[in-house]
Amino acid sequence: MNDNLVEAKSLSISYGAKRAVDDVSFNIPKGRVVGLLGHNGAGKSTLMRAMVGLAQGTGGLTVLGLDPCKDRVQLLQNACYIPDVAILPRWARVEELISMMSGLNPNFSAERARQLLKRTSVGLRDKVKTLSKGMMVQAHLALTAAIDARLMILDEPTLGLDVLSRKAFYEMLIDEWCDGERSVLISTHQVEEIESLLSDVLMLNEGKLVLSISLEDMDRRFVALSHDSAVADAMSAAHPLLRYRTGPGPAGNAAIFDGAPPEHVMALGQRVRPNLVDLFVALTRKPELDRTQF
Amino acid sequence: MHTWDDRQPIYQQLADQLAAGLLDGDPAEGHAMPSVRALATLHLLNPLTVNRALQTLGDEGLLENRRGMGFFVNPGARERLRSAERQRFLELEWPRLRERLRRLEISPEQLSWEAK
Repeated sequence: MNDNLVEAKSLSISYGAKRAVDDVSFNIPKGRVVGLLGHNGAGKSTLMRAMVGLAQGTGGLTVLGLDPCKDRVQLLQNACYIPDVAILPRWARVEELISMMSGLNPNFSAERARQLLKRTSVGLRDKVKTLSKGMMVQAHLALTAAIDARLMILDEPTLGLDVLSRKAFYEMLIDEWCDGERSVLISTHQVEEIESLLSDVLMLNEGKLVLSISLEDMDRRFVALSHDSAVADAMSAAHPLLRYRTGPGPAGNAAIFDGAPPEHVMALGQRVRPNLVDLFVALTRKPELDRTQF
Repeated sequence: MHTWDDRQPIYQQLADQLAAGLLDGDPAEGHAMPSVRALATLHLLNPLTVNRALQTLGDEGLLENRRGMGFFVNPGARERLRSAERQRFLELEWPRLRERLRRLEISPEQLSWEAK
């Protein structure tokens, strides 16, 4: 069987004249944690909505081997989705949500939901409206992770949460969801925080996919050199994707290259780990915000 | 939330951190390492990264991967780590330290070996 849970081929999605997603192709294999990164309006939510049949495009898109628009009901038994505007009904008690989910999805396990909720400070008798934002997101993840699915799609799940709630959210995600078979696609603006959780990254810029790579390959392909300001001109001349500051003083300079620069340039700096935030800035910046001029 | 720097790949940083634990006898030789899932959750890391770190220590002969049971600390792992650390100290740290002692004109007799 094909190990790809998602396959997109030349997928474009338009809203009227605006192309929200522009000719993107990528695969999501099983057992991965994929970060979907992009500025506001880059097309992240649209792409996620298309994966669960809420937006239709042209080109090819199969999720779990199904067409999300045609086979939506069947798809949603094996894929779960928390949209960025996720809200649980405020009047409901948590235990009522569990009964409701049991009726809606045959792959939902009420027992597992109760077990997952034990990790949180959310009680079964609690009404949704009495929960803090952090508790509400935890409850939502617990309910979603109780679906025995193969793909989870999370659209900015930690938006507006404090650091402890975000940590608890990610802990539950790794501990209870990632089993080497299931995959999760997660969009966020907290790039720095999520980098170590990811196995792969998809980067969108104005609807176009500017990067689709595993973190392991990213370390190999992109070369970051930390260097002294004295060699800054030589670095610039080698056409880096981006030059940035890593710290105070003349030594706190770095340049990031796509592929290794010539040896004489390599010799001018010290190779460091290219981090996702800098790469994100390098690949999605607008020309008018050219950060090579500092 | 993150304690990883930009100098080395994250898996290498985790491997170094785990090796430092082994040097202190945590976990002891013959004992099991924490599971991939436990380490991933603890450090908020992708399980593949954790696996790669453990695999690296396995390749260095410090851990043994017992199929289906996880990684175990090999007998002699502590001594191997200690001798590697000793060599690193003598080759890298000691020349720098010696240079500094000379510059400050500190003689061996002035150095106390008793912890205060």
